[in-house]
Amino acid sequence: MRRRVFLAAACCAAAFPRLARAQWQAPGRFARPEAGSEEGGLWSMMDREEARLRRSPFALRDPKLQAYVQDIACRLAGEHCPDVRVHLVRTPFFNASMAPNGMMQVWSGLMLRVDNEAQLAAVLGHEIGHYLARHSIERLRDAKSRSAFGQFLGMFGLVGAAGQIGVIAGMFAYSRDHEREADAIGASLMRNAGYDVAEASKVWENLMLETKARPGEDASRSSPLFATHPPAEERQQALAQLAQASPGGVANEAPWREGVRPYLHEWLNAEVKRGQHEESVALLSRVMTRPLATAEYRWARGEVYRLRAKDGDLDLALEDYRGAAALGGEPPETHRGLGMIYRARNQAAEARASFQRYLEAAPDAADFGMIKSYLEDLRT
Amino acid sequence: MRTHMGTLVAAALVVVLAGCAGPVTKVATGEQTVGDRLDVSLEGPWNQVRVPALAPARVWTMEGLPLDRLLVYSGIKNEQLIHAEGPASRKNFAFRSTMQPDEIVAMFEGMLTRDGSSFKLVKLEPADFGGAKGFRFEFALTRRGDNVQLSGLGFGTVSNGELFALLYQAPRLAFFPRHQPRVEQMARSARIKT
Repeated sequence: MRRRVFLAAACCAAAFPRLARAQWQAPGRFARPEAGSEEGGLWSMMDREEARLRRSPFALRDPKLQAYVQDIACRLAGEHCPDVRVHLVRTPFFNASMAPNGMMQVWSGLMLRVDNEAQLAAVLGHEIGHYLARHSIERLRDAKSRSAFGQFLGMFGLVGAAGQIGVIAGMFAYSRDHEREADAIGASLMRNAGYDVAEASKVWENLMLETKARPGEDASRSSPLFATHPPAEERQQALAQLAQASPGGVANEAPWREGVRPYLHEWLNAEVKRGQHEESVALLSRVMTRPLATAEYRWARGEVYRLRAKDGDLDLALEDYRGAAALGGEPPETHRGLGMIYRARNQAAEARASFQRYLEAAPDAADFGMIKSYLEDLRT
Repeated sequence: MRTHMGTLVAAALVVVLAGCAGPVTKVATGEQTVGDRLDVSLEGPWNQVRVPALAPARVWTMEGLPLDRLLVYSGIKNEQLIHAEGPASRKNFAFRSTMQPDEIVAMFEGMLTRDGSSFKLVKLEPADFGGAKGFRFEFALTRRGDNVQLSGLGFGTVSNGELFALLYQAPRLAFFPRHQPRVEQMARSARIKT
């Protein structure tokens, strides 16, 4: 599900060129369906899930960031703004979803990956596209007829862990036609909001970098999802055409980076611990070119290399840790990482200095006792 | 509609937590050997559940798997997975004999958060385990499926390139404090056969 948005994006320009170029007309605001109706029951269920989401420990409760993302969603949704409620969720996977009652989830893994407002708008616009076209109602009827209700719920980021287990199933939740239409609508919403539509294709390209980095055969060919979609080159072409049809617009990179900066370390740490080392290296190597918080990115990539620990990785980790320290503003864990490698290489003096610096910078660290014991061992 | 939702969530949760658990057998009080290599002394009985998804770990529980579980690792070899191999779309976590304690904890963290659960390391400190120099760690885990807040406790050591470890988790309220002393006692009693 989490990749569904961008994979389908590539299809839309080729399939809906007229829709993409024309000024798409949004429907008026939706009235709440009658409680006894099929749709009314779905809304009630989603209302209940939304209440649960508000209480969830995974909810990222930051009024400032929430208002920022809500504002982007509102600019896209236009008249429907009062019906769209953004919920930020701490989950290190790439995903956004929107339920038919207007509940929109934006996961932290998505926010880590997008480079600017326009890229986020591409995802949100796509999800709002599903909402405006009321695709979920069609899918509900189809899912009920096929006893595929679990997959249907997965479309909205529900069913907890099953949402991960059923990633592939979730990605197929909407039909290809629905995805194409949502992309065309999303592009139109982006354009209306003044965003550069070309950024949508960049998000897709960036995601492909990670997918292709995964070990084993090319995921773009082995995945059932990719197997049922046009080849990567074709998708890229289609996206480029879509952007060419309506050039211009803003990306708003600096305000986005500044807006998410307080969470960068937390999100990077979650990314590192995902254990998908190859994907993380691809992601971090790309985002390291960003102008802000470069030391954080170098630290994170150093951590990935150290934890992967394949041939040559510790040298690469050292290079990144040292690079982060040279840039300044590096997280304390940079020095822990340095100390761990020096210690493993019997460079006692360097290890001592690094561990000492780590403990001074992070006296409340959870691993204080462990690192202190290393220091004591190194002194003897 | 609501009934469907609740049923699905519950079903998904049970599948995830139990990992298609098999029959339950009793682990009796007294001296026990886990996997031929790890001797422990139990002050009370445990329930052992066969969970293929979590093999090679032995899975023990006091209250039943949706509530608490103790994973016992005995002699995990270099490059060996710490759980059953999953589909290609999911990360598999393997032990390396060169791993330092923080890397072993990160490996367990990765395994515990594959479903989107949230892990926070609370403490990592040196501790003897199995008669060797090892480590002890505490963690907080928020389960993705039902938002339950769990507390966790782990012990580990690498002996002759093999991993021996205990990993216990239970709901933070009531269940973890109830069983923590039993796990601590078991960890203190652990001895690795050479």
